[in-house]
Amino acid sequence: MPEVQAEVRIRPLDELDIGSIVRIDERITGAYRPDLWEQRIGYYLRRDPEASRVAESGGRVVGFMLGDVRAGEFGIEEPGGWIERFGIDPDYRGRDLRTRLVSAILAHLRERGATKVRTLVDRKDAGVTGFLTALGFTPSPLQALERHIEPRESP
Amino acid sequence: MNVAEVTLEKKYHRAVEHWRRHWLPDYETLLAQWDRYFPQDEPFCLCAKMECGTPDRVAVGEHAGEAKRLAPDELSEEEARHLLAIIRAQASTEFGSIQQHSGTLARAQDDEDRFWVLRVMAEELRHGYQMFHLLLSQDWSKAAAGVRGEEMVEEILSMGTGSHVLDAFNLEYDSFVDNVCFAALVDRVGKYQLTMQKVCAYKPMADSMPPMLREEAFHLAAGVIPMRRWAKRAAQGEGFITMQGLQRSINKWYPRALEMFGDERGGDSNVRMGFKDMKNRQAQDLYIEEVRRMIRDINARYLRARFPGYTPEKSDQVLDEVERSRGRHDGVAFEDLLRLPDRRFFRRKGEPAWTMVGLEGESFAEVDDYLRHLAQRLPEAYLAGGDMKRYAETLRLVVSGQLGVEDAIRKMPRLKRVGGNCPCSRAVRWVVEEPAS
Repeated sequence: MPEVQAEVRIRPLDELDIGSIVRIDERITGAYRPDLWEQRIGYYLRRDPEASRVAESGGRVVGFMLGDVRAGEFGIEEPGGWIERFGIDPDYRGRDLRTRLVSAILAHLRERGATKVRTLVDRKDAGVTGFLTALGFTPSPLQALERHIEPRESP
Repeated sequence: MNVAEVTLEKKYHRAVEHWRRHWLPDYETLLAQWDRYFPQDEPFCLCAKMECGTPDRVAVGEHAGEAKRLAPDELSEEEARHLLAIIRAQASTEFGSIQQHSGTLARAQDDEDRFWVLRVMAEELRHGYQMFHLLLSQDWSKAAAGVRGEEMVEEILSMGTGSHVLDAFNLEYDSFVDNVCFAALVDRVGKYQLTMQKVCAYKPMADSMPPMLREEAFHLAAGVIPMRRWAKRAAQGEGFITMQGLQRSINKWYPRALEMFGDERGGDSNVRMGFKDMKNRQAQDLYIEEVRRMIRDINARYLRARFPGYTPEKSDQVLDEVERSRGRHDGVAFEDLLRLPDRRFFRRKGEPAWTMVGLEGESFAEVDDYLRHLAQRLPEAYLAGGDMKRYAETLRLVVSGQLGVEDAIRKMPRLKRVGGNCPCSRAVRWVVEEPAS
């Protein structure tokens, strides 16, 4: 059983967090995906290392949230924050770590001049949707659309 | 976060551009391919970046609580000279690392690795440019008794591998493995220096640190991520870079990286003057723990690739057991894993300078035994170079009592490039610099 009473510190992501994030993801999804996380964390570190945060307890990373500031995408010219991925070690759930991670990221995004933060969620994932709603996220006029691409398709 | 971008006066900007044409010839290629390798990232800017809104009160030292100094004239002569030495050393590392990287950049096996290092080089150029801004944007001559910024800039641009301020920047790379290990180990010291200097009592220096630190985060990733990938390939029997090859490169750079913190017993002046918030040993201790974490992380990557069916807990257990017993586990030997060298290993500066301490902390009484130990643990190409020869000669003198440790530290000769301060004049000779008297 982990030392759940240890103080939790929120700090910017760094390159030595990759192993811990791989491990949290593996605990949540059951999939060991180091290549994916090396690529994603390399991306976030080169763009803005302070926009992504990890929660550390007793020297161990127990949660993470990856975000950045983008502008000029999808016709949105003003800088806006995006939160792409987050995960909390199942042993550390219920300790409000996601809220603390979001707060730290929002403070940074505000400093960077962002006035909005966006993310995409699966509507069927009630847990994540509920969590984000509780934090003040509301449905956006910007709607995610998708369609299937047939192997061979007439125009 | 608000950052002001500043360019140098045209003649100095041109001097940096000229320097980069020699030492960073792939710069244009990097810019042309930027969107391919770094899509959506801000375009590269060769400029100084000053963070706005940083604290305006001195945080540490004898001036704590006072207003930060905005101009050199507000510093005492001792402080101005001390700070100039820090800026000179910082600038030297930035330009020095580009010269080192350029030697083996083209030998990268993967284009992504090559472009990552290229970006690191371009950002180091920007960091050097940042230090030049500090030297050139204000007049130091009155505060530092005649020292002129432009003369310092000229001197720094004339330095080459062999004549830089710190030893880590005076060693050539042997292969692309060095590009990567250098980024993981030596740039990590850079991160500590920049972090400590965030409190600097001279505000333009403090304002320079946050943008540099943000870029440095990627530099460390450009070291650690390829090392993780190489460890995976080594475990799977793919590729040609072995864990032993990585270990040798670590053994080459780690001692020089430790020496970049300065003598373990020093650093008081930096804190007293409010230029840094940690003394040398304190920062070095934190660095060592961070490298220990990095090595553990890479070993874990190796083991999971070797035993894909293992859970993380099982993998941890095996790693702990092999490290404790120095034994084997299902074909993996202790020697197949990376190890953190002892902090006294192969040191020539600082508290353990010229002691004969082995990789695991074991002591040697005989020079020949120690040199054999080093020969088995350092990269072969490095052993064949002049640095190792001079080290061995000096060590013999120290051990035989013909030379004191302090003299040996000062004597350790450096190569100095002569024949003009621009690589355009390719008629250079390498000579051994006279030891300081």
